[in-house]
Amino acid sequence: MTSVEVQNAYLKLGQFNLQDINLKVKSEEFFVILGPSGAGKTVLLDLIAGFSYPDTGKILVDDEDVTFLPIEKRRVGYMFQDFALFPNMSVLKNIKFGTRYYKIPNVENRIGELMELLDIVQLRNRHPTTLSGGEKQRVALARSLILEPKILLLDEPLSSLDARTKEALRDEIKEIIEKVGITTLYVTHDQVEAIVLADRIGIMHDGRLLQVGSSDQVFDKPQDELIARFVGMENIFKGIVKANCDGLISVDVGNAIIEAVSDIAVGNKVTLGIRPENITLQVGETISSARNIFSGKVKQIIPLGPINKVKIDCGFMLNALITKRSSEFLLLSKDREIKVLFKASNVYVIADDDRLFGDI
Amino acid sequence: MFASKYKTERTLIVFSIVSAIALILVIAPVANTLLSHSPQDLANTSIQPEVYNAIFLSLYAALFTSFAALVLGVPLAYILARKQFAGKSIVESLVDLPLVVPHTVAGIAVLLVWGRTGIFGAPINDIFGVQFYGTVAGIIVAMLFVSFPFMVNSAREGFEGISPDIEQAARTLGASPFEVFRRISLPLAFRGIMVGALLVWARAISEFGAVYIIAYYPMTAPILIADQYLQFGLKASSAIAALLLIITLIVFVLLRFVILKRKVEE
Repeated sequence: MTSVEVQNAYLKLGQFNLQDINLKVKSEEFFVILGPSGAGKTVLLDLIAGFSYPDTGKILVDDEDVTFLPIEKRRVGYMFQDFALFPNMSVLKNIKFGTRYYKIPNVENRIGELMELLDIVQLRNRHPTTLSGGEKQRVALARSLILEPKILLLDEPLSSLDARTKEALRDEIKEIIEKVGITTLYVTHDQVEAIVLADRIGIMHDGRLLQVGSSDQVFDKPQDELIARFVGMENIFKGIVKANCDGLISVDVGNAIIEAVSDIAVGNKVTLGIRPENITLQVGETISSARNIFSGKVKQIIPLGPINKVKIDCGFMLNALITKRSSEFLLLSKDREIKVLFKASNVYVIADDDRLFGDI
Repeated sequence: MFASKYKTERTLIVFSIVSAIALILVIAPVANTLLSHSPQDLANTSIQPEVYNAIFLSLYAALFTSFAALVLGVPLAYILARKQFAGKSIVESLVDLPLVVPHTVAGIAVLLVWGRTGIFGAPINDIFGVQFYGTVAGIIVAMLFVSFPFMVNSAREGFEGISPDIEQAARTLGASPFEVFRRISLPLAFRGIMVGALLVWARAISEFGAVYIIAYYPMTAPILIADQYLQFGLKASSAIAALLLIITLIVFVLLRFVILKRKVEE
């Protein structure tokens, strides 16, 4: 039963600044820190682990100030990207390493149970260099969990694995951590990992924690354009509200009027975001309740496995994701004339507050 | 087909020829020295007290030098491998300084600080009654001065080969910084450290210039060889040279085999 809190943390590392980090992770919560490379995710994790100290601010574990407590006194489990197993020790000795420093009652039985839970009993005498990525990860997890840490920190533990192993291990991590019941902070740049694993997600960019919320809140209601882009809203337009009719606004985005659901008053600047998967394509006569219907020409079709990304010129560029089968059914090809539809309720509206927007 | 294969392998062939020439340049004098004396010759030389005393002195003074270099060099190597600090490049240059100083100059420099009136020599003489000019202790400090960079650089490479994540992982598992060093860093850098110690030992045995200045007597093997050469000519000195060569080669190969083949495991 351990909560973790970061209060007003700042840290300058050369050109990089971790700025004003405020975060509270509840007991037994699975919290995912999501952000692109260089966002400062690992730096934040390192502060909690004690690998570095903040210039200002505090780290609290169960309301106790641990900001400057040495690493070995924090009782924090840490899974590194490369798992950091000790190459001079067998799997069993790796797992036993910390039991010399932390007294674990009935330690031999606990090790046996944990190795069974993680299905690594048969690896006990092997050396880390002979293990696969997945096996290494399980051993690293066992090595941390045997010490019953207060918090488990995972730094992109799946990033070095192939896609198939990654998926299997992601589910496994979730299951094991749920079984053990431990407060977890997990760092990743992979949105799917974040959605699958997280109770809550914190979006980080450029040393700042921009938004914290459930995956629904973060992915469907991003607080600004920066987050919107990062969470996959590929179609983003800036415009001015020209009309507001009972919560249905018409926004002039330059070459078109887009309708959206919002109560923002006429004359305000807004940013609109539309997910490519919420765009429907049709050919010929169109009958639909969608408020936004545009004619356009296919400019490019990019195959992404079972899905195609279609770039369409409607006087403004739109990206749509449709299944390969639908592409074939619509006979999509370059320069084909099509209709583009999306509902007003699928247009996410962000009131502009003159923030500086950058690319992620 | 042969021509195209020849073309692609041409660089390798040229490199192989150059390498062979280089190896011959090293092997020829050594082999010639060894083969120009009969076993009887060598046996007769080895039973002369001044010869076996000098060779024995060289071997054990070099061994002490290796231990001293280990104790003093490993912590410095670890700091250089792991920490960034102001003036680090100056420290690195200082470590390498003995490599660029002529060895007679090194001998004079060492004598000035370790001699009876030197800043180290005087207090040590006053407190412990230990002198360095013309003593084994002097030979060891001279050997240490010229060979120290080999210890630091080799051990440092060993430590740099360990991912810092591994050391930090050990800290999260409850190990103090010293425990991490003892159980993780030291065993994983063992090979680099031992290579350093071996190089120090080899370098110390071969040292002439610095030892010549601080301690002509008691005579180490290289000084005895030079002394014999100047007094009695090439033949007299080359027999001792061959003997020293054989002994050091045997010890070097044995140590290398025993130390470096050892599996590093807790």
